[in-house]
Amino acid sequence: MRLSEPYLHVVVFAVFCVAAFLVTTYLSPRLMLLPYKRGILSKGVDSGPIPVNTLYVQPERLFADPFAELPPGSTKLLSYGTNRDTLYAIGWLDLSHGPLVLHVPEMSGRYYSVQLTDASRNTNFAYVGSRTTGTEAGDYLLTGPRWTGEAPSGVATIVAPTNAVLVAARIFVADDQDLPAAHALAEQIRLTPLTS
Amino acid sequence: MGKTYTYFIAAVGVVCAYFLVRLVFFTDLSTRTVQSDVVQGILIGAGLALVTAQVYGRLRGTRTNGWLTMRGCGLPGNGMFLRAAQAWVFTGPIASPQEAMYWWANSDGDARRLSGEHRYVMHFPPGGLPPNDGFWSLTMGDARNRYVPNVLQRYHVGDRSGLVPNDDGSVDVYLQTTAPDGGEANWLPAPEGGFILWFRVYVPGPAVLDGTFAVPPVVRTGERTGER
Repeated sequence: MRLSEPYLHVVVFAVFCVAAFLVTTYLSPRLMLLPYKRGILSKGVDSGPIPVNTLYVQPERLFADPFAELPPGSTKLLSYGTNRDTLYAIGWLDLSHGPLVLHVPEMSGRYYSVQLTDASRNTNFAYVGSRTTGTEAGDYLLTGPRWTGEAPSGVATIVAPTNAVLVAARIFVADDQDLPAAHALAEQIRLTPLTS
Repeated sequence: MGKTYTYFIAAVGVVCAYFLVRLVFFTDLSTRTVQSDVVQGILIGAGLALVTAQVYGRLRGTRTNGWLTMRGCGLPGNGMFLRAAQAWVFTGPIASPQEAMYWWANSDGDARRLSGEHRYVMHFPPGGLPPNDGFWSLTMGDARNRYVPNVLQRYHVGDRSGLVPNDDGSVDVYLQTTAPDGGEANWLPAPEGGFILWFRVYVPGPAVLDGTFAVPPVVRTGERTGER
């Protein structure tokens, strides 16, 4: 196809160039998080893929032994490099089928954070944890942006900006002796569907 | 950041610039087709986006005393270009600064690559440990960010590792392959070859968030001593 005026080719080129530039920039965080999504939902770490809307806690033995080999097929993306400070728990959420209830146990002053990340923009829209909500036990209703139901009374609601959410929780481990206690608490951070 | 990757991104930039200049100044536009406008536009636009993210990431990343960090990661509303820069330069779901700040170093305060061939000290002046409401740590990895076995089985030091302050209240951390003369309490064992360091402050205080606090430089004090 030819255009009547030659300079229009430059205009067409420029329009597509600018559009591609903006779209690529805008989608970059999402593209970067795709391997994480795949790592969680398709590969997993120790016991196979991690089902959507569940949390997976780093196994005690993988934290206890810094030289432990990950089983074949595990994703390596989920270990945060060299980190001896915090156990992690991770999960990929799809809130389009309804809200989830995030339960956190009594942490007795222990540092922890449950980071809720908008998987489209890779920004953290909320934290539950010692800094933001304290270390007492609690339940938090996590809903997608378009959910219109009614929250159970007495449960704080967190509205996610997107239905795709990446959860990364960090639970403080003081030292090797503290690991079992920290791990037991991490296991009690749970996500369950809201049953009405 | 790997050199290969840097060269790759630079090559993308050069190719994009070449096609842009050629199209605007050296092409007989009367023989062009709309298809090539569209295809080249999309490819060059996408390529320029990658290059821009890299350049912007390097501009927004701050290196102080050899320690590299990027402020504003993870914060909603931090801007499309910062998010893209973070995606391609500091990948992964990173904590918001109020929750945790991270610094990374593979070179000392004089920009020389860190290696177990040398001895280093990190000197925190009196009252110069990072203010926080969580904890802080300094973690050692080899050049590929993996743990290296050592006699103490110590892979990090920090607020709970029993660092012994000097008489004036300052704290020295020794980074070297063999135990320092002063004892093992302040020794973070280094591997034989190149290494990297992570400095983490959880729930950082205002002085950390506003940049008043600077992570002290890793200072080379001598060569490796003792048997290997």
